[in-house]
Amino acid sequence: MGEETVLRPVRGMKIAAVAAVSGLALVAAACSKPAESPTSGSSSGGTAYKACMVTDTGGIDDHSFNASTWAGFQKAKSANSAIDISYVSSTSMDQYAPNLSNLAGKSCNYIQSVGGLMGDATVAAAKANPKIQYSIVDNGNGDQANIFPIQFQTQQAAYLAGYLAAGYSKSGKVGTYGGMKIPPVTIFMDGFVDGVKKYNEVHGKNVQVLGWDKDKQDGLFTNDFVKQDAGKQKSDALAGQGADVIMPVAGGAGLGTAANAGSKYVVIWVDADGCNTTQYCSVILSTVVKNSTDGVADAVSKAATQNGTLLTNTGFQGTLANNGVSLAPYHEFDSKIDAALKAEIEGLKADIISGKITVSSPAQPK
Amino acid sequence: MTATTLDTAVVAPAAYWTRARKTGLILTVLGVIATVVFGALASSRSAHFSFGTDVSGAAMSIPGRLGAIVFGLVALGAGLALYFTQARYGLWTSISLAAFVISSLCWQISRAATGDTIALGLLAQLTVLAALPLIYGSISGVLCEKTGVVNVAIEGQLLTGAFFAAFVGSVTHNPWLGLIAAALGGVLISALLAFFAIRYVVEQVVIGIVLNSFALGITGYLYEQIMQKNAAYNSPGSLPVWEIPLLSKIPILGPAVFTGTILTYGAFLVVAVVAIALTRTRWGLRTRAVGEHPTAADTLGVRVLGLRWANVLMAGVVAGFGGAYFSMVSATSFTKNLTGGAGFIALAAMIFGRWQPIGAFLAALFFGFAGALASILGSIATPIPSAFLNMLPYIATIFAVAGLVGRVRAPAADGKPWVKGH
Repeated sequence: MGEETVLRPVRGMKIAAVAAVSGLALVAAACSKPAESPTSGSSSGGTAYKACMVTDTGGIDDHSFNASTWAGFQKAKSANSAIDISYVSSTSMDQYAPNLSNLAGKSCNYIQSVGGLMGDATVAAAKANPKIQYSIVDNGNGDQANIFPIQFQTQQAAYLAGYLAAGYSKSGKVGTYGGMKIPPVTIFMDGFVDGVKKYNEVHGKNVQVLGWDKDKQDGLFTNDFVKQDAGKQKSDALAGQGADVIMPVAGGAGLGTAANAGSKYVVIWVDADGCNTTQYCSVILSTVVKNSTDGVADAVSKAATQNGTLLTNTGFQGTLANNGVSLAPYHEFDSKIDAALKAEIEGLKADIISGKITVSSPAQPK
Repeated sequence: MTATTLDTAVVAPAAYWTRARKTGLILTVLGVIATVVFGALASSRSAHFSFGTDVSGAAMSIPGRLGAIVFGLVALGAGLALYFTQARYGLWTSISLAAFVISSLCWQISRAATGDTIALGLLAQLTVLAALPLIYGSISGVLCEKTGVVNVAIEGQLLTGAFFAAFVGSVTHNPWLGLIAAALGGVLISALLAFFAIRYVVEQVVIGIVLNSFALGITGYLYEQIMQKNAAYNSPGSLPVWEIPLLSKIPILGPAVFTGTILTYGAFLVVAVVAIALTRTRWGLRTRAVGEHPTAADTLGVRVLGLRWANVLMAGVVAGFGGAYFSMVSATSFTKNLTGGAGFIALAAMIFGRWQPIGAFLAALFFGFAGALASILGSIATPIPSAFLNMLPYIATIFAVAGLVGRVRAPAADGKPWVKGH
């Protein structure tokens, strides 16, 4: 018995280690796929323009800015086959810096980071590699000349959504909640609150927003972007208070809101048109769209054509005017929304574009 | 005569600070805080409590400041009663804590910016729903640990259960088959746990953590490869909601306890069955014996390892059902890391519940209540910042574990592998 029973834990540990490694390998495999095999373009040998992306912790399939940024890469590639695209995933925040410096060593010409949390790591990497073109979505460039910032005046489109929600609500109460209290999230909520306020001014109504107080900058948060059950709980609480239009700004957690809408409330989705990216079109009134896909695609394409020269560091500002942000079509609700309301929203959009109305948020890019 | 003096000399004087006195003192202090602080902060506006699942309908109203002070005094009184009588520990503690919470609600609702009513029916309903996965998870933990196997893999069991439910439910277009598959998913992780922990006597906490990351990796990978490419593999539908006639109309409790999916009713049933079986059946006696002293049990002819295997697999079934909650009750699809750490809260609920099924059940309800209350208070913009509201469940846990639970003891052989003949 002796040897057998003594050795068993050791052997067990080995098997467990194999299981652990294979599990983690699957995480990695699931997260980062190598460059789409260059079928035609890179046959031009060493002249291919290498565009590389580092995801933030949400991963490439977050139904949100990582996904739409990657879609921008794919769009740029399909327009110009000389562009080679690839990405690496960050599964935790401490991987930003090593991922960025690895890519610099892999002869990437263009390195894309995503999200405000990567700001510092990107500035540090850009300082170390002044010849490489960096770009970041949803963050400024910290005055670093070789970073091209891609940012959005999201509050403009959210303003239209707030107006729409207030006009659509029968109960006189609309709600919103966020994933985390960070600027890319609260900017939606600020614009939404202002849009409702505008509706109240125009119509002499008193529609109330639950879940976000713009003045105090505090409200309802899931503290998470994946837990659908948390999203459902927040929207149940809002619906219990009488809200019949709810805007979740919480990535995947918001799916819990859409899945349980039933006839209690309708949903305003955010980031990418919910009718294209989720299965819940029948409850989605509209979407506050942040068109990072086109912003990124333009930047990559431009950088590729002027290979070797840096892009201007003024960056790209998505606004209603350049369609960088927008209110998505109403899809299945098109016939249920009053024509007068639609016309008012079009009017507001024109006013914002012309500068007659300014929508501001403490979270908006400078 | 000499005998009696001897007796009294031998008996050690009882320590003055008994558990009841300590708790009584803490509760009294909380009562003072409630009376003075909440009373001062509250406005004279009334706080309304409606009985249904929304703010319309019948409601009870309490003037904010008066309510905060009166309930604060109740909390204080119950604390003092415990301190001086040192009896009825559970009763006085519950009264005092409940009064403390109500006092705080009177204050917060009277100062809320976007509402003056909370729906008690909704609060109860959200409490039970939030507690469901924790109940299944913690009972899974109890089943394993009572028999001497540490189960840190609850999170992995829930996640795998959620994935299987979504996948099989979608492929077969039958949520019931999805539910069965969820149980199998839980069993899969359980089988790995048992294989390593029992057959290969690997350190059990380590293997539990490994299994959690394994479950996260494999479900994430399959989600990307199968579900994301074709939404038809990720639309399991939801389990039907059954309302029990008449009972579901009971104010406050009706919507929580007598309205729900099979998982709601199942949770109550599982807790009752496990609680009774552990104390009243041959299986229960043997399970506890194996968890406390496996060698003694073996000497008496109990098949130690067989029983451990059976219980660990059964735990997988229970946790798997809990996993189905995530993809077929609170949502209608699977997404990566959908369970988001609920398994660890379930683990805490099991310990907080002192490794007892009823205790774990109450602890799960307590966590569910703290979360549901935070959501509801957040929706009416009470004066407490959202960051603090979100901390509520965890603050409550720390206080509860540190102050109220007292000494907790795991089964003696918990986590100790047993090899026959050693």
